Amino acid sequence: MLSIPFANLLTEPVGVAHYVTVGAILFICGALCMATKRNALGVLMGIELVLNGANLNFVAFGSRYLRDDANSLGLDGQLMALFVIVLAAAEAAVALAIALNFYNNHDSIDVDRADQLRG
Amino acid sequence: MEPVTLQTTVNNLVDNTLYESLPYFRPELALCGTIVLMLLVRVFKGGELIPPFFIALLGSITALIVAFPAEGFESWMDMQREEIFTGMLVYDSLTAFIRIFLLSFAVLFVILSQLTGIADARDGQDYYALVLGATLGMCIMASANHMMMLFMGVEMASVPSYVLAGIVKGRQRSSEAALKYVIYGAGTAGVMLYGISLLCGVLGAAHLPTMATNLAALDIPQLLTNAEGRLTVMVLVLGGLMLGVGLAFKLSAVPFHFWCPDVFEGASAEVDAFLSVASKAAALVLLLRVGAGFGLTTAEDSIAAVVDHSAVIAAASDESTTPLQHAVLTAQTSVSGDSTPVGGGPLSPVRRFFVVVVSIMAIVTCTFGNLAAYGQTNIKRMLAYSTIAHAGFMMMAIAAAIALAGRDVVEARTAVSALLLYIALYLFMNLSAFAIVAFLRNEMHSEEIADYGGLIRTSPLAAVMMTAVLVSLIGLPPLAGFWPKLRVLQSLYSAGGPLMTFVLVAAAFNTAIALVYYLRVAKVMCIDPEPDTRGAVSLGFLPAAFVFVVSVPVLIFGILPGSLANLTDLAVSQLFS
Repeated sequence: MLSIPFANLLTEPVGVAHYVTVGAILFICGALCMATKRNALGVLMGIELVLNGANLNFVAFGSRYLRDDANSLGLDGQLMALFVIVLAAAEAAVALAIALNFYNNHDSIDVDRADQLRG
Repeated sequence: MEPVTLQTTVNNLVDNTLYESLPYFRPELALCGTIVLMLLVRVFKGGELIPPFFIALLGSITALIVAFPAEGFESWMDMQREEIFTGMLVYDSLTAFIRIFLLSFAVLFVILSQLTGIADARDGQDYYALVLGATLGMCIMASANHMMMLFMGVEMASVPSYVLAGIVKGRQRSSEAALKYVIYGAGTAGVMLYGISLLCGVLGAAHLPTMATNLAALDIPQLLTNAEGRLTVMVLVLGGLMLGVGLAFKLSAVPFHFWCPDVFEGASAEVDAFLSVASKAAALVLLLRVGAGFGLTTAEDSIAAVVDHSAVIAAASDESTTPLQHAVLTAQTSVSGDSTPVGGGPLSPVRRFFVVVVSIMAIVTCTFGNLAAYGQTNIKRMLAYSTIAHAGFMMMAIAAAIALAGRDVVEARTAVSALLLYIALYLFMNLSAFAIVAFLRNEMHSEEIADYGGLIRTSPLAAVMMTAVLVSLIGLPPLAGFWPKLRVLQSLYSAGGPLMTFVLVAAAFNTAIALVYYLRVAKVMCIDPEPDTRGAVSLGFLPAAFVFVVSVPVLIFGILPGSLANLTDLAVSQLFS
């Protein structure tokens, strides 16, 4: 029989593995977005995707409905997700302010225009 | 037994926080109070008349005073490791030392910012609030004991630093530096968080010692024998490497160093001093905490403590060795032919992985930093590469400490002591170098090395002190920079094994190649003719006094390093136990 990777996920009841798969896809999308976007705002969106991928992992690992064994992260996972949401918001605010400052000085937010400093 | 109700749990928690944890947290609370006060004082009538400099200086000095141990430094001798805030942070002599270090730096830095005039009356509050906020984050980084505090600390230290890099408004280079810093920084922080989520998920805990216990229970050699176990180990390795990405970014270790020269050139020299001294020190201690946290469990420590030199000899000569000692001895002899001896125990594969990754990164970072510094014409850019090289050197001490921690606790403590001595002396060296650069920038509006020509004739103090600092950064004997380098090399030697010997050779080689580019600057300042474009350069009285006060320790500790070395020895006296 032909074995497709992750095919067993489709037949199993929803568990940690499903959430972690979605988290991994979010992470990869975010990493690709960071690597390929030339617009600073696009890069920041990629960073948000990466952070949310990690957050999804934390929530899934911490949920006692998905994994109720000794290895569960428990409330730690939920709390970390909450703190990360707050930190991500703070970081995004600072990053947008810096992007605006860059725009005021360069009339562009293309990261390739940031090339005065090199060597 | 009293039944456990929600009420008793909450009461216990409140009691624990108020009476046990918060007293250890006083310096950080003082910093928090200062930040809030500084931002609020503008709201009240007449509040804008109070210069923010005074509030910042008063707050940081208060924090520094409460950070000093009440019973004197000798109390560090038998200070036990204590977990505060239900295990979120750890308080031990290392935390206490690094906190005093960071807060002393904050005091000097606030004074420097006032003297160079970077924080003017209009945005002084913002500037000092950011500086103190970043210092607070660094204190948390250095005492993190939980993955959440690790991430929070890194973010709390990074986010204000992004703004500080671009604090000079209306300059293209400054805004470019801030943008590069924030994009690299946020990207690596995201990757680090994902790595943390993988590690926490596999190990089922976020509290560092619990994670280490669970990691030991996984029994890695056993896992590697079957396919599913290998997958688990792969996820752990991936998570560990992703966590390493975030730490390497803070340390500006190759291959995550790109931001460092650009940010240092674009940001002002004062901010460079902050990033190169405080940020690096906190990141190094955090790396040590992560290495020791994952590589050692409390169960293993007791084994390691048994194996001092004398104990091994006694056990070998004694017929009636206990099974425990016997197991340790066989473990030791079985790994003695190993390329990287890290001692035995269930976590030895973790230590080996950590040591190999950190030492290879350290060699590459150190060599790259020193080689790239050659062609630089901008002094800040040259010092940025010098910072990268020094971070590599300090990482070598951490690799040696973790390699030794499983075998010989005393030698491992010596390695950490060498690291702390390096960090402490690096404060004086880099702070005075960047202070001189900042004061000279105010005078002659240039940061090109060529414009420093003949400085000895117009501004002898700056030229002489800068030369002393540069020679100290090389690590030549009569000056302070020599001692930490020597002690790191000693620790690498005692760590043994081919890899550590290779690191030792690389470190010695790097000291030699660093000679040329530091001395080139000294030559330009002392021998070359003055450029025609430059007018008269003279530091004012206060800047000259500041430079003198900060750089004289480089001379004093070069001849008499004893007092500082004793302090760092005290700070590590209970480590790894």
